[in-house]
Amino acid sequence: MSFRCKFLLLLLPLFFLMEIGLFAVPFTISDKVQGLMENYCFDCHDGDSKKGDIQLDNLEDLVLQDRLDLLNKVQEQVYIKEMPPRKKKVQPNKIERQQLLDWISIELRNHNASTLEEKLRYSNYGNYVDHERLFNGEVKEKPFTPARRWLINPRIFNERVMDVFRLDRSERARFAQRQDGVLAGVKNPFIIPERSGVRDYDVRMLNGGHLLVMITNAKWIAQRQIFSALLKTFQNQELIDDLNSTRTAGTPVKSISGLDRWYPKVTPDAFEKIVLKKGFPTEVEMGAAVQEQFDFVLRRKATEEELAKYVELLRSSISLAGNSEGLQQMLFAVLLESDFLYRLELGGGEIDDYGRRKLTPQEASFAISYALGDLSPDLELLKVAEEGRLETREDYRREVKRLLSDEKYFKGPVDPSLSSRHMRSHETSHPKIVRFFREFFGYPLAAKIFKDSERSDGYYKNPDRGTLGTPGFLINEADRLVDWYLKKDKNVFENLLTTEEFFVYHNKDNETGLKIIAEWNEFYKRLKDTDWKNNPEGVLAEHMEFIKTKPSLKRLVPGSNDKIQRRTFLRFMHFFSDTIGKGRTPFTTLATTHGYAYHHSTFYSLPPTPTLPRYASVESKNFKGNLPDADFWDYPVVQPFKISNRKGLLTHPAWLIAHSSNFHTDPIKRGRWIREKLLAGQVPDVPITVDAQVPEDPHKTLRERVQLVTRKAECSKCHVRMNPLGFPFESFDDFGRYRLNEPLEHEEHFVAKPNKVPARPWNIKGFPVYKTKNVSTKGELRGTGNPNLDGEVSDAFDLIDRLAKSERVRQSIIRHAFRFYMGRNEMLSDSQTLIDADRSYVQSGGSFKAVIISLLTSDSFIYRK
Amino acid sequence: MINNRRDFLKHSLMSAGLMASVNGSGLAVAPSKAPMRFIFMHRGNGLWPRVCVPPSLDPKTLEKENRKEPIDVDLDSHDLPEWMDPLSEHKENLTILQGLSGMMCTTGHHSWCSSMGVFKANERLGSIRWATVDFELAKLFPSPVNHIEMACFPDGGGNAKGTLDGIATGFSAYGPQKPNFAFGSPRIAMEELFKSVSTDMSAKTQYQLDRKVLEFVANNEGANAGPLYGFEKAKVKNYADSVEDIRDRNRKIDAMADVIRRHVPKLDKKYLDPNITTIDRQIGHTEVLLGALISGLTNVVAFTVDELGHRYTGFPGLEGMRLNMHDVGHNKVIGGLAAEEIRNRCRTHHMSLIDRIVKRLKSVPEGGGTMFDNTTIFYFPDGGETHHSRGSEYPFVVISGDNTRVDLRRRYVRLPNYGQAGHKTLGNWYTTLLNAYGNSIEHYGAIDNGLLKFGHDQKGPIEQFLV
Repeated sequence: MSFRCKFLLLLLPLFFLMEIGLFAVPFTISDKVQGLMENYCFDCHDGDSKKGDIQLDNLEDLVLQDRLDLLNKVQEQVYIKEMPPRKKKVQPNKIERQQLLDWISIELRNHNASTLEEKLRYSNYGNYVDHERLFNGEVKEKPFTPARRWLINPRIFNERVMDVFRLDRSERARFAQRQDGVLAGVKNPFIIPERSGVRDYDVRMLNGGHLLVMITNAKWIAQRQIFSALLKTFQNQELIDDLNSTRTAGTPVKSISGLDRWYPKVTPDAFEKIVLKKGFPTEVEMGAAVQEQFDFVLRRKATEEELAKYVELLRSSISLAGNSEGLQQMLFAVLLESDFLYRLELGGGEIDDYGRRKLTPQEASFAISYALGDLSPDLELLKVAEEGRLETREDYRREVKRLLSDEKYFKGPVDPSLSSRHMRSHETSHPKIVRFFREFFGYPLAAKIFKDSERSDGYYKNPDRGTLGTPGFLINEADRLVDWYLKKDKNVFENLLTTEEFFVYHNKDNETGLKIIAEWNEFYKRLKDTDWKNNPEGVLAEHMEFIKTKPSLKRLVPGSNDKIQRRTFLRFMHFFSDTIGKGRTPFTTLATTHGYAYHHSTFYSLPPTPTLPRYASVESKNFKGNLPDADFWDYPVVQPFKISNRKGLLTHPAWLIAHSSNFHTDPIKRGRWIREKLLAGQVPDVPITVDAQVPEDPHKTLRERVQLVTRKAECSKCHVRMNPLGFPFESFDDFGRYRLNEPLEHEEHFVAKPNKVPARPWNIKGFPVYKTKNVSTKGELRGTGNPNLDGEVSDAFDLIDRLAKSERVRQSIIRHAFRFYMGRNEMLSDSQTLIDADRSYVQSGGSFKAVIISLLTSDSFIYRK
Repeated sequence: MINNRRDFLKHSLMSAGLMASVNGSGLAVAPSKAPMRFIFMHRGNGLWPRVCVPPSLDPKTLEKENRKEPIDVDLDSHDLPEWMDPLSEHKENLTILQGLSGMMCTTGHHSWCSSMGVFKANERLGSIRWATVDFELAKLFPSPVNHIEMACFPDGGGNAKGTLDGIATGFSAYGPQKPNFAFGSPRIAMEELFKSVSTDMSAKTQYQLDRKVLEFVANNEGANAGPLYGFEKAKVKNYADSVEDIRDRNRKIDAMADVIRRHVPKLDKKYLDPNITTIDRQIGHTEVLLGALISGLTNVVAFTVDELGHRYTGFPGLEGMRLNMHDVGHNKVIGGLAAEEIRNRCRTHHMSLIDRIVKRLKSVPEGGGTMFDNTTIFYFPDGGETHHSRGSEYPFVVISGDNTRVDLRRRYVRLPNYGQAGHKTLGNWYTTLLNAYGNSIEHYGAIDNGLLKFGHDQKGPIEQFLV
């Protein structure tokens, strides 16, 4: 063994010991920093005080890992200005704080150990960036986004797969409502995190799970790409048999969904040539096939190096397995390129004076299009990019404005996963803009909360097969409300926070609804005094000519089954007796319609509508024709309409349920949302040593129990930022219903006991009733930076009014919009972009389109570094 | 000569040095200790609790049964329900477990991942909240492919994707929003699981091509990652490393070629025919899963033996028909057979599949005993107690070998009814299994909100079953 080897072997144990931290590693600290620590830290954190069990005057004696852990904690606390504590009179000035941070940063970087820098990439740390400095104009650095790969989101994935096949809009529409993929052979490998706030960030990366799914996907796609050409070969019949083999024995073809047997009717020329060629393809033919696949999949030409590699792969694969199989392998390999699954935003061209490069025109075309709608660029955008007319800020502005005014290109459902047989997701011209607000408010999370239906008197239906149940309807209605104010595009933030008008049910537009109600009124008026109960057939026949003139009554026109027609007529009449007959407007869909599922008006604290079982057995001998009267809802056909005791999206049942638990309200979650999303504040994560539990006490309200457990000093430090903002919403229960009293849900407080086996949703009896206690809705607003707004609040409505007037709230929403459109957290260098966006909003009278235009024409969007 | 899995493991160790290099996804089971194996066989259209009751219960116990009060009796002294006749040889391995509820699951016609995940699942990916219990067990006993899922897919409702014979979204999930993929036919399962040892020229060529492309992609992505730095490098390198992981797994499977070849299911042509009947599909699936278990490709199998949306063909006594199980659920008489009789024949056939599995595994030596000693089979309904179930009961038929770590063999057990003190849910049951086999999770599955009002603790394992 050489001396050198022996020496290294001797050193190895030493490295090992150093690595695991058994030796204290010397570290450096300047006199200046030492002085700062003495002035601002050691009062509480020297060997004598050790407040919070933190000691900082012995850093050099600690083993490496302990020191790094401690420095990471210090870095975070100093960075977010939690330390020194705000109540301390002596505070470091801006420069001193920065000096302290620089020193910690260098120490941590020396060991590649900074957790803060890593954390700051993630959305839940976005608010760590100093709000005042972002908006006060003092930062002069030119904005940019780091050159990056941004993993595509599930929607873009679907579109990219269809791009590979060059499907046109009508073909795409065929697959648009599919929820977990596009084509039967392609599974969407991507999910984005489920939480309130912007979720699609550039920090997501490909992993083994994605790859496994993509291998199956790529095989299917590659095979389908050349399928039409294969049908022209001698294997024709075998392929057709194979395609039809998805059927079970004896099944007629038409009874099986055609999706799995879909294939494009044309194979691209370059591929078809190779498939049909008898001999080995030429170099040129192979090169053309590679270039074609690059164009389809990666939307660019292969470089010379790539071309050589792929042609070689193609050649060797063809040698092994023949033209068709070999070609499929090449197509498969290109589909597995990671760049198929990333958005490339690396920038190109000349570097400017600030070290930045603009997006290339092609990158820009995709960035703009994906920002506005998850679709690949339209033909016009591709054209201007190709022609070099997507270079300047004005070019960007022109294209963004054009696409924002295009009512068709991005049109589609806001969220196809809401759609079911009996409900369609709200459609709009720019669904992605609505999606920003639904992510920001987080109300779609209502579908993740599961309730005990009994507690809602059976009205709440949890998500189940084929439906997202009650939360699905509520989410869709919140989407519609957001879209309503986006279309108005005036004071968008303020309106969404304070509107008193809502959409409930409203499955037909105002004009159609009014027409139906007019016909029903006329019908009922004409027939109510006839002998319809005893002689339905006769009455129906007598008025048939009239009925035929009313489209909304077409179900009463004779069909093949007279028995059903008689029953339908009786149901109509009983339904109208319950509503029109009592001076109320009925909901424009009959309660006995197949699949009727509208039971959620009660969650807006509105009266219920009749349920299906009420009219299920109208023909039965035991049916009581004179049903006991019930306080049904007088349905407002013209919507949105005013609902009392509601103000804005924070009082929408979808938001209230999303920010509740399965069992009760969640003032902490609601308060935290306001602190972080509206006030740009921070709440540290719950320390892992804390097992946060609200104690059970059958005699106390939830608020009282939360206060009990969070008033300890170590808890209140964080809870003071959340609880006073969440408590005012205790006037809404965890189903979103307005209340003055809270039921004490414990068996010792039963006023009426529930059935042993859970009652069915439409049962009248069997639901538990409890004693109640008054709720307190008092709270406190701190953190707007405006003394006229900060202070005690009497209830949720008072709080909301103040929030809507706050400049900081407006700027906080702008910050979140920035994150949505840039796919990352803002940095201090993005200050000018944020100031411009905020100014655009204010100067335009509250136009969100103006915000979008400002963001998508900003340096942050255009430049990479 | 390699006669059993243990010999194989020794052999492969010596010849390929495989074990030394495996990671968590490899053959992590030491040759001296055989892994535990689990088969989750679930069926659609409900499993009626009343049909699971031993007919020889004395009147007093029967009365308790009817009142759904707790029962724990020795099965040895009782007859099995007639439809369990195929299991009569395995009575000492058998348990009938009643009284578990699953109200927190999606019930009724279709239940997707509910019965194995213990949450409300539906056709939307977002409804999948965590890995199903079979995948959790697979993590405890890793193998080259970790888990396989076989299915008689519905061609009506449920998970239907129009592909009875393909690979499609299954009924298990390997993580939140991550549905597993299942093999719809024995043919496709054979092609995919045993392609490394296929004797078919075209399959062999395909196998070589696949290996070649993966090598190409690994090199390509590795090179792409080269010039990048930091976080951006990780975005590409992570992917390149994943390709390498798959190649690594493939290498391990290649190293097992001899033993895999020996246990490739020898299926008659009719089992590979695209026009296969349901009955043959189920038998073919059973043979494939046996091949995969015995060769050591996997230790955990999920088997959707049927689903409400699957139209039975080749059904005993109704061979020429496509049997609509929904109609059976609604008690229609079909082809002169009463629904009850159809359900009976269906269950009997399922038991014959289990008998086939048990007998085969009992014939493979392992350790001092047989492979079955380390195996547990669960037969249960995906939706609960009846056709239009509410999840008030999920009867389980459990067949387990000598080395089971759950103490309930040779017994008929009825747990306290819904709402009674001591009542247990599917979540408690799966927690018991996970705790018993090494996952100390406090509670697996969603909480039943409806049970809360009764004030009983519904978390944790069923203590009396833990050894």
